[in-house]
Amino acid sequence: MLETGLILRALARNKVGALLIALQIALTMTIMVNAIFMIQDRQQQMQRDSGLDEANTFYLTNTVFAQDYNIQAHLQTDLHTIRNTPGVIDAVQINAIPLSSSGWSMALQHESGEDKDAIGSAIYMVDEHAINSMGLELIAGSNFSQADIELRKDGQSTWPAKTIITKAFAENLYPDDWQSAIGKTVYISQTQPMQIIGVIKALQAPWNGWDGVERSMLVPFQRESKGSYYFIRTEAGRRDELMPIIEKVLAESDKQRIIRRVTTVEDTRLRSYRQHNATNKILSTVIITLTLITGFGIVGLAIFSINRRTKQIGTRRALGATKGQIMRYFMMENFIISAFGNMIGCLGAVALNMWLVHTFSLSPISFELIAFGVVTLFIVGQLAVLYPARKAAMIAPATATRTM
Amino acid sequence: MLVMKNINKIFQTADIQTHALRDFCLQVNEGDFVSVTGPSGSGKTTFLNIAGLLETYSNGEFLLDGEDVGKLNDNGRSRMRNQKIGFIFQGFNLIPDLNLYDNVDVPLRYRGFNGKERKRRIEENLERVGLASRMKHLPSQLSGGQQQRVAIARALATDPRFLLADEPTGNLDSEMAQSVMSLLEDINQQGTTIIMVTHDAQLAQRAKRTIQVKDGRVSELAIVTPHLNQAIA
Ligand SMILES: Nc1ncnc2c1ncn2[C@@H]1O[C@H](COP(=O)(O)OP(=O)(O)OP(=O)(O)O)[C@@H](O)[C@H]1O
Ligand SMILES: [Mg+2]
Repeated sequence: MLETGLILRALARNKVGALLIALQIALTMTIMVNAIFMIQDRQQQMQRDSGLDEANTFYLTNTVFAQDYNIQAHLQTDLHTIRNTPGVIDAVQINAIPLSSSGWSMALQHESGEDKDAIGSAIYMVDEHAINSMGLELIAGSNFSQADIELRKDGQSTWPAKTIITKAFAENLYPDDWQSAIGKTVYISQTQPMQIIGVIKALQAPWNGWDGVERSMLVPFQRESKGSYYFIRTEAGRRDELMPIIEKVLAESDKQRIIRRVTTVEDTRLRSYRQHNATNKILSTVIITLTLITGFGIVGLAIFSINRRTKQIGTRRALGATKGQIMRYFMMENFIISAFGNMIGCLGAVALNMWLVHTFSLSPISFELIAFGVVTLFIVGQLAVLYPARKAAMIAPATATRTM
Repeated sequence: MLVMKNINKIFQTADIQTHALRDFCLQVNEGDFVSVTGPSGSGKTTFLNIAGLLETYSNGEFLLDGEDVGKLNDNGRSRMRNQKIGFIFQGFNLIPDLNLYDNVDVPLRYRGFNGKERKRRIEENLERVGLASRMKHLPSQLSGGQQQRVAIARALATDPRFLLADEPTGNLDSEMAQSVMSLLEDINQQGTTIIMVTHDAQLAQRAKRTIQVKDGRVSELAIVTPHLNQAIA
């Protein structure tokens, strides 16, 4: 550009202000890029498929307080009642709820015995209605049959002979070919054999922060327990209408237990990711605030330096500068400061990211994100300097002779 | 050639109107060296600013090199200042952050000359004012007289038809003033038309033609004697 060399040399003689703003830009860049990166990381976590038909499912807890209560008989009655309520697609008793942050886990291993490598998984104890009740997708093998379902007493340590696992779990167990999982025998509790009869597309564990969150297994158990969940799936759009109806029907059909915590899966997801959402809001606020502060800093420095140079600007006008050339001078000056700040900012952003990667084992930042930061800060700088530059262009040429 | 016919300039501030120029008429021919004197507040700077297109006038007619200045927009006036007019100020008005070379470069860049042409003109004009050896110095490293010489080099670098100076020696001691005046005489000899406002009667007298401004009007002194000039000042 016309005056780049002169601007650079004039800047070099007035380093301090420009340097401070450049450093502020660099810092903003460093923090902005990494904060956006962290926001994106959380958003990706939140967007992972739970495997459930979230819009049309809910659950409740059934707590028996009576002594001498035939749990098994009542369970069958309850499930029969719910499953036959108009609008309900299916229902199942379950021991834990995905995303709820509490549940059970066990590990599976290829060979029987102690000291063998095992891979952890969430455990869902369900009957053959689970796939239909939760809206899961069976992508290989077969579902449990009614005959597979065993009764499980509280504290029982033996496991059924069959299991259905998620595709992610199958891939962990059989990295070469997940489909080869079907029919394989694996060992639970170190020594008890279990045959994998089916693979479902996805089902998340209850813990969203666990790196094995995609590994889950269905185990054909009905629990003879005084506390359990009923997980219910309704026809599309009828969930909210059916929640109070089912609660009431169950509560009134049997006064020896209480029905509590009737909750949608959508609410559970919200609660599960409340921390994520809050953190993202804080990070967004930090980004916006920092960017604004930097923008105002640029405005301030520009106004200060223009006021200091009023006579010089008038002289430039007297020497033949057009208004446009005066404006461009300050836009270019800002561009140079921004370029310098962005350069340091890129180094800072990568350095901070490397530390984050090292400390929190996040994945490295993308080139696009850094490019986005650079472009954003250039635009912020040019916008911020627009008003002061316009003011500078309005300085009268006569200022050259009229001021001492 | 510069022709002003019945130029009026009225400054309108919040509560008062100042009639700085009243039916101001003047013709300055090619090659002239005109000095302008007059009491403080009489309108000298106003005249020079209008002549140099730094300020607009309220009404009247002003032709510069045959072009009707009243018809130019802001960009047109900027271009004309850059191409036809060189300015010298009482306070030198050098850019403190730039060395002498870069200072002279400023109007040349606005003109859009290429690097080679600019270098030639900068060196030639710094040579002309005797400061070629100090190209890399900052203005603050020079004396007042030297700074004014740089300003003259800067004004001349664009090859202007008119050199306008508002009290160019006002901030200089008499020895420096004399040398700047000699430089201006040389420049005039080489063909540049000069209009110079000054309070110094002796310097004014060295011009080819002297006009006096009083109450925003011109009164020309055909023959200036030192005696008469003293009486006026
Ligand atoms: N921007 C302005 N606004 C209002 N009045 C102005 C402005 N500039 C000049 N004037 C007035 O116009 C009149 C002429 O001023 P001008 O500067 O031309 O005088 P001058 O002859 O150059 O004086 P001096 O010898 O003191 O420099 C003065 O009364 C001055 O106060
Ligand atoms: Mg004046």
